[in-house]
Amino acid sequence: MEQKKASKIAVRLDRRAILRLMTAMPAGALFSGTQRALGAPQEMAAKLASQEAAAPYRPKIFNPHEWKTVHVLCDLIIPADERSVSATTAGVPEFIDDWLDFKRGSLLSTIRGGLTWLDMECNRLFGSDFTASTASQRKQILDRVAYPKKAALEDASAVAFFNQFRDLVVNGFFTSEIGIRDLPYLGNEPQSEWQGCPTPVLTQLGLVSKSTDS
Amino acid sequence: MPQLILSPDVYDAIIVGSGAGGGMAAYILAKAGAKSLMLEAGSWFDAARDSKWLEWGYDAPHRAAPTPEHPFDYFNATVGGWEVQGEPYTSAPGTEWMWFRSRMLGGRTNAWGRISLRNGPYDFKPYSRDGKGSDWPIGYGDLAPYYDKVEELIGVFGSCERLENCPDGKFLPPPTPRCYELLVQKACGNLGINCVPSRLAILTRPLNGRPACHYVAQCGRCCRLSSNFSSPAVLLIPAQATGNLEIRCDAMVREVLTDGDGRATGVSYIDKKTRQEVQVRGKVIVLAASACETARLLLNSRSRQFPTGLANSSGMVGKYVMDTVMSDVKGFLPSLMDLPPHNEDGVGGMHLYMPWWNYQKQLRHELPFSRGYHIEFGGGRRGMPGPELWSGSERFLGGGYGLELKQGCRKLYGAFVDFHGRGEMIPNKESYCEIDKEVVDQWGIPVLKFHFKWGEEEILMARHMQETFQEIVRTLRGEVIRSAGPEERWGISRGGECIHEIGGARMGDDQKTSVLNPYCQAWDCKNLFVADGAPFVSSADKNPTLTIMALAWRASEYIADQVRKKNL
Repeated sequence: MEQKKASKIAVRLDRRAILRLMTAMPAGALFSGTQRALGAPQEMAAKLASQEAAAPYRPKIFNPHEWKTVHVLCDLIIPADERSVSATTAGVPEFIDDWLDFKRGSLLSTIRGGLTWLDMECNRLFGSDFTASTASQRKQILDRVAYPKKAALEDASAVAFFNQFRDLVVNGFFTSEIGIRDLPYLGNEPQSEWQGCPTPVLTQLGLVSKSTDS
Repeated sequence: MPQLILSPDVYDAIIVGSGAGGGMAAYILAKAGAKSLMLEAGSWFDAARDSKWLEWGYDAPHRAAPTPEHPFDYFNATVGGWEVQGEPYTSAPGTEWMWFRSRMLGGRTNAWGRISLRNGPYDFKPYSRDGKGSDWPIGYGDLAPYYDKVEELIGVFGSCERLENCPDGKFLPPPTPRCYELLVQKACGNLGINCVPSRLAILTRPLNGRPACHYVAQCGRCCRLSSNFSSPAVLLIPAQATGNLEIRCDAMVREVLTDGDGRATGVSYIDKKTRQEVQVRGKVIVLAASACETARLLLNSRSRQFPTGLANSSGMVGKYVMDTVMSDVKGFLPSLMDLPPHNEDGVGGMHLYMPWWNYQKQLRHELPFSRGYHIEFGGGRRGMPGPELWSGSERFLGGGYGLELKQGCRKLYGAFVDFHGRGEMIPNKESYCEIDKEVVDQWGIPVLKFHFKWGEEEILMARHMQETFQEIVRTLRGEVIRSAGPEERWGISRGGECIHEIGGARMGDDQKTSVLNPYCQAWDCKNLFVADGAPFVSSADKNPTLTIMALAWRASEYIADQVRKKNL
């Protein structure tokens, strides 16, 4: 808690410093300095956030077994690759737990019901729950529910569950600090001049004629 | 403590409401030397302190998702929203009405879209042009000098295009278009639709000590640096600097007080912090509480002399309430997939828009509706990604999971464009507000009951919007993913949903059919003026804020002039 407070105050103080900079400095010199200044509190916030993450998160919605299943499922949906870490490393289970607590209603029952269905189906087919099943058994189940157009009619409710769960994982991942960088979303950075659409994008969109290109 | 406090001071002017109209009235009157009191029903707001500028979604509750308290998102500056605790309103059976209210210093100017379009010559004389609705008692020429002054004061970017009924203004240079905007502009060119730089109250050059925009697409959070227009930053702070303006927040005005001679003497308000009634006296009263709140105030100001409400001898108070016609289409554009990384934030709004392009067709009666609309559009990589951006991705990626999904979602980022029509409603007799005699708010003030109905022409306009936007998407070889058909009345919005409610105290040449004269002065009460959207006679497709400010400036100059001539 103390650490959390400290990080919030640190960020705010630095933002105030930025504001002072922005109002005090002449227009031309303004933003190169601010951009450097912006780097510092962001890095600091990230460092403090990772320290916070060391304290275990207490789920508001999921029981310990569901929590474990959610972790396994999150990393099957968004695994690590050469560009970024996996969904669980980006804090997606925590996002989902908080989001379900926030939204409640039918979304919550769809997700919890779907997690239960996963276990029941694995128990029926493999004699073990989803997390205890082998990688190829999990794949067998997921392949049944992850491709709506190819799925069997009797799996429709499981497909609906998986669509919703996939949305939660993807949305949670790409709005996390890690996901924002992965995309990359390059905004939320003050600019001294608006640059417009860069040439490589214009070229790909066919909006630059060859003659003006050279 | 006494339940009623009588304030000893007599102000030269009392201004009710601190938004675009009230802010402008305060600015002009304070500069003219009038000792003025501003009463605001909401709380104090200071963007330099309260704006959530530059904060990240991952640091905000639920990734900044909308909640009832934050109806747009966690970052949006609005205090208030579709529901205001303890301040209800009612709707007649069959009416679907949404009433958005800001309860903060500066009102809706803190979070508005900054779209600043002039009404054109046709917009002031719609009845003369097509025989529907009513003409304004003033024409474009009467307001043009005030549009000039407002634009020069607040700063509006745009470009001079010399387009029919879309007058050019005193513009700052516009920002260059975003990538997806250029793509849409090209398609519009093929379809004969004008797609030109938008006109927004955002600085692209420093102005009057305010720095230029820093392009983080966060105008809705209200700018900490005042690079966009808001009433507190641009009007109220300079007005206060004259020493002539006193601002009281948390002051919910319940009625305008009058004497036996039919003059306004002051207002009575409830101090929300103490729940006490306070009466203040003023020589001139300016109502700028927002169109419907102003109508409510007038209707609640009943006396022996004004038994149906103040300034209501015509019976027109609350009548002819209008909103802007809206309908949307969303498209998925595969050509926008997998583009090289680029920052598309820009200003907090569109860099291009499409003004109405069919005036000549309508003159030849080739369209089944008489009035115009303009197109606003968003999409691409503009703005911070929100927590529902990838919802339903299986529709485009076929579902899946794992590395392929991760890569697919990256490619999908920024590949959507949404189009929003903003059209003119013809005022009708079935759209009005009145006092609900059975319901009061928590301050004991009778509330409004709304009646609202779109006309047939508005529905036909929504259909035209749908067909046009879908054609643009198809021209771009995209897939329409959100649209509306006849069973949903072509996706027409609910009344009030555009947050452009205007009318309710219309101006006119004839005191039998209007509430206000051409200077926004009440026919029945010489020292009472209205300076918000209530005086509007027609709605135009143009967003109302710039016209509200031009009218407020003109009315306030008139007040100062009449005081000098001792006519008030």
